[in-house]
Amino acid sequence: MKKDNNTDKITRKDAIKKMGKYAALTAVGTFVILNPLKAQASSLPPDPGGNPLI
Amino acid sequence: MNNNLAPTYQRLFGSYWVLWYKTSNSYSIVDDNFKHLLYDYLECASFDAFKSIVARIDSSLDADTIAKNLQSYLEQCNAEHGSDELLSTDFIVSKRKISKQYIFKDKAFQVNFDSDLVKKTIHPSIAHLETENNVSPSVIFDIYIESDQLCLFKNEVLVRIVPKQNYHFIQGKFAMELLSFIHDNEESDWLGTFHGSTISDGENSILFVGASGKGKSTLCALLTAKGFELVADDVSPMLAADSHIYHNPSAISIKKGAFSLLRPLVNGFDELPDMVFNKTKGVIKYLPCKTPNKDHYPCRAIIMVNYTKDSDTTLELRSIKEALETLIPESWLSPDPLHAKSFLDWLSKTPVYQLTYSDTESVTEEITKCFNRFKNH
Repeated sequence: MKKDNNTDKITRKDAIKKMGKYAALTAVGTFVILNPLKAQASSLPPDPGGNPLI
Repeated sequence: MNNNLAPTYQRLFGSYWVLWYKTSNSYSIVDDNFKHLLYDYLECASFDAFKSIVARIDSSLDADTIAKNLQSYLEQCNAEHGSDELLSTDFIVSKRKISKQYIFKDKAFQVNFDSDLVKKTIHPSIAHLETENNVSPSVIFDIYIESDQLCLFKNEVLVRIVPKQNYHFIQGKFAMELLSFIHDNEESDWLGTFHGSTISDGENSILFVGASGKGKSTLCALLTAKGFELVADDVSPMLAADSHIYHNPSAISIKKGAFSLLRPLVNGFDELPDMVFNKTKGVIKYLPCKTPNKDHYPCRAIIMVNYTKDSDTTLELRSIKEALETLIPESWLSPDPLHAKSFLDWLSKTPVYQLTYSDTESVTEEITKCFNRFKNH
């Protein structure tokens, strides 16, 4: 949805607040993306050195 | 602009927003500034419109870079991760070399293995359910290796096949099948299986999470010895319909490092057989626990376990970000949008704590106090 023209009414205070928002984009660690496992698994991870099935 | 990349759900937790993306089943945690910036971008009709908003705020800002970064973030959030290749293979009856029958409450099942090695991946954690009586199993599982692939069959129908080094997926799938069988559900009824252990006081439950080696299972074993009920160890299943954690009858796996702590607390500890599974985990004992009074409990808190030698016992509130960073990458969560919504609803009323401990008496007191806060909820 498109924003209406209320951005024309931006106050100085809002502008400073918004600046912080844009500055945040360049900062490291402003977001994380987490992906759950695609399938159920136990907590025993594959172990190349000691996998009992190899 | 790019509304097809927008998150499906957005939920505020303290100072963080959790955004859920349907295409990828990803959860993204962002701060308030980032979230509003993202929505400014998504709600603009065109790049020029976004550029003019940015220019009105400060003409020195580089709208191109900002837009590029946001677009790249959205693409990452929507990236579909390859699902497992589905292979097919016919059932081979001659692979039935070892047969074990088990019973849990009135539910009997049989598991056949092709070798002792394969048996070792499943049997030790459910050995306490084995029965010598002749039962007629309602379901028969077969687990065997064929052409370096580990296969799991249910009633002679292939359920899962993975390269044998990925046996932990067969263990996870078997756990899911077993849970669905004993609780009369389908896999699609589950909201997820959390990598964590769950303890109950008979009324409510608490989910303990933490990386391997942080002492989850040890803590649960000692709390069980102090009178709490074990609901689930390692794989804690949550049902979508009620967001309760359900009983997982698998035994607690205890690593050698915890033997001396648990020996005085658990009757007959030394009689439990030693299992050597792999070099990472070393010697393990499987400790079966009493079946809880109820099959399922509401889960009132998430506790991140942090065993620290010689530390005082502390229980401190932590952010949703820390909890999800620990929980999500090691858990299976259903991609069903209704289930994702239920998960967020449950999270929004569930406090997150970090428990640091070394002393068994004071940690038991602290957990008792924590449960008391949720009494008559």
